Amino acid sequence: MIDQQSVEPFFDIPFTSLSSFILLMSSLTMVLAHKSVSEGNYKNLRIWLSATLLLGGTFMAGQVYEFTVFYREGLTYNGSLFGTAFYTLTGFHGAHVTGGLIMLGSLIFLSFKGKMQKDRAETVELVGLYWHFVDIVWVLIFTIVYLIP
Amino acid sequence: MATTTTDHTIDAHDDHEHHPSTRTYWLTFLALLILTAVEVAWSYLGLSGVALVVPLLAMMVVKFLIVGGVFMHLQTDMKVLNGYWFTLVFGTATVLAVGVYLIVFAAFRFDI
Repeated sequence: MIDQQSVEPFFDIPFTSLSSFILLMSSLTMVLAHKSVSEGNYKNLRIWLSATLLLGGTFMAGQVYEFTVFYREGLTYNGSLFGTAFYTLTGFHGAHVTGGLIMLGSLIFLSFKGKMQKDRAETVELVGLYWHFVDIVWVLIFTIVYLIP
Repeated sequence: MATTTTDHTIDAHDDHEHHPSTRTYWLTFLALLILTAVEVAWSYLGLSGVALVVPLLAMMVVKFLIVGGVFMHLQTDMKVLNGYWFTLVFGTATVLAVGVYLIVFAAFRFDI
């Protein structure tokens, strides 16, 4: 039976730290996107939104890679209490990130259509708040699940 | 109609005034980056128990507050954050949550 003690040796902390860095970076690009639309700089808006989408997508790719490795190592959803807790917690977070990516994609699409002007800055801010919420939850998960044995 | 436009302009102006500058956002990101690096380094020091967990939790809370305060603008948008009752309720809840976590951790760790 696989529990937390036996899964820790194959926790790849440097890899997950890089994922955390990427997600934190995406919060920065998100606030810069909001600042750009508030100032009426639509070119920068698209650049920062695309950067956020790319960073979020990279984080998700890392998550999928990590799940694949753990599953191959024998950590299944039903195999242990730790497996169930781990996949539920990180899986729900991943689902929220995916939701955020869809929202970001929609904002970029609307921006290219010319429908994301200065008067819609609040829409970008709301998506940003959601994105930071996803980031803040990862701050907790990273420390409690990965760093604390 | 003119009034609406004027109000809108004032709101947008206020919004812009209250939000942090680009430099603050970059410095915030740098602070988060450094804290994450320290967290990871701390986890490699070979410490255990309270010496490992308490600093990690403290750094986690600081990162949480930084993201909430600066990136989510809670520091400037929510005046209630400065209120006595909010601080009392939020502070009590935080102390309770951290306390319960540490007690449960201690119960498992030291077989109390």
